[in-house]
Amino acid sequence: MLKPISTVGAQVGLALLYSLARPGTAISNEAALVQTAANRAMDSVERSRALFGNKATAISQVWALAQECSVEDWDGNGSLPIKPVSVHRAIALIRALPADMPLPEFAPDPDGAISLDWIRSRSRLFSLSVGDSDRLAYAWLDGSDSGHGVARFDGEALPLRVLQGIASIMEFNDAAIGIV
Amino acid sequence: MTLPSGLSDSVADSEPLARFLTSSSQFNVSGVKPSVFLPNPKNNQTSVFRHGAEPREALWRIAREYAVGDRPLHGAAVCLAGDVRAVLLEVNPKEPPPGHANIENWSVNKNDPELTKATQKELATKIAQRATLVQF
Repeated sequence: MLKPISTVGAQVGLALLYSLARPGTAISNEAALVQTAANRAMDSVERSRALFGNKATAISQVWALAQECSVEDWDGNGSLPIKPVSVHRAIALIRALPADMPLPEFAPDPDGAISLDWIRSRSRLFSLSVGDSDRLAYAWLDGSDSGHGVARFDGEALPLRVLQGIASIMEFNDAAIGIV
Repeated sequence: MTLPSGLSDSVADSEPLARFLTSSSQFNVSGVKPSVFLPNPKNNQTSVFRHGAEPREALWRIAREYAVGDRPLHGAAVCLAGDVRAVLLEVNPKEPPPGHANIENWSVNKNDPELTKATQKELATKIAQRATLVQF
């Protein structure tokens, strides 16, 4: 018997999706198709929640680091406090990262910037500094090979060569955004 | 020639150099992060102490008395002076305090501060790769 879907108070949202995705005794092809589609939609929503949760955690870590290094000379060597603009740019960068791309670790720079470090091992890493300029300084180490560069971040989309650099070090593939 | 600390006035390649860690974000299980070795923007130098991982208590006392005071102290990044010179930087004694030295000769491009930072990051990354993490 088909389970009735209440139309009272029905709204586009998770409640409807859950009800459609719930296994039932659907007897028609159409009902089965709807159930399959609803399951896929729920998977996407829950995956997005997981990803957003990870990004939310990363953003919290940025704020915590900013708080920890909010005073001048936080390291005893004359370092500058982390600048508010560095925090906001770091957060924007986190949000701009492609879904599924590994999230970085964070560290304070002595000039008030924040380093975002993708570390695969001692000899393979990609490090990006976010400061008060929209030009980001980065460096990478890949075994005995290394390099550095500068890339502009407009606050919304990371330059492809930065994404490719990170992806290469972290062995991350995403053909959809040109990283293979 | 000998400095007031009793150390030589030139730092040998084999000498260990310690850079103290005041945040847990400065290291992970892989080791020390590159930002640890970046220079102070005010003087373009990286402050270090001419001491290795042992004796551990002596290293800790140096940190507390001459470097970090009562700030959080998680450990030290220890590298060799030769590792610093391998990336074409220099290590020069600067006392007092006793055993203090500076990593110097970081390149600066006054017309492009971001490129300067990127260049310095690459060198800091290479030094960090060779550094040993010492945790207190």
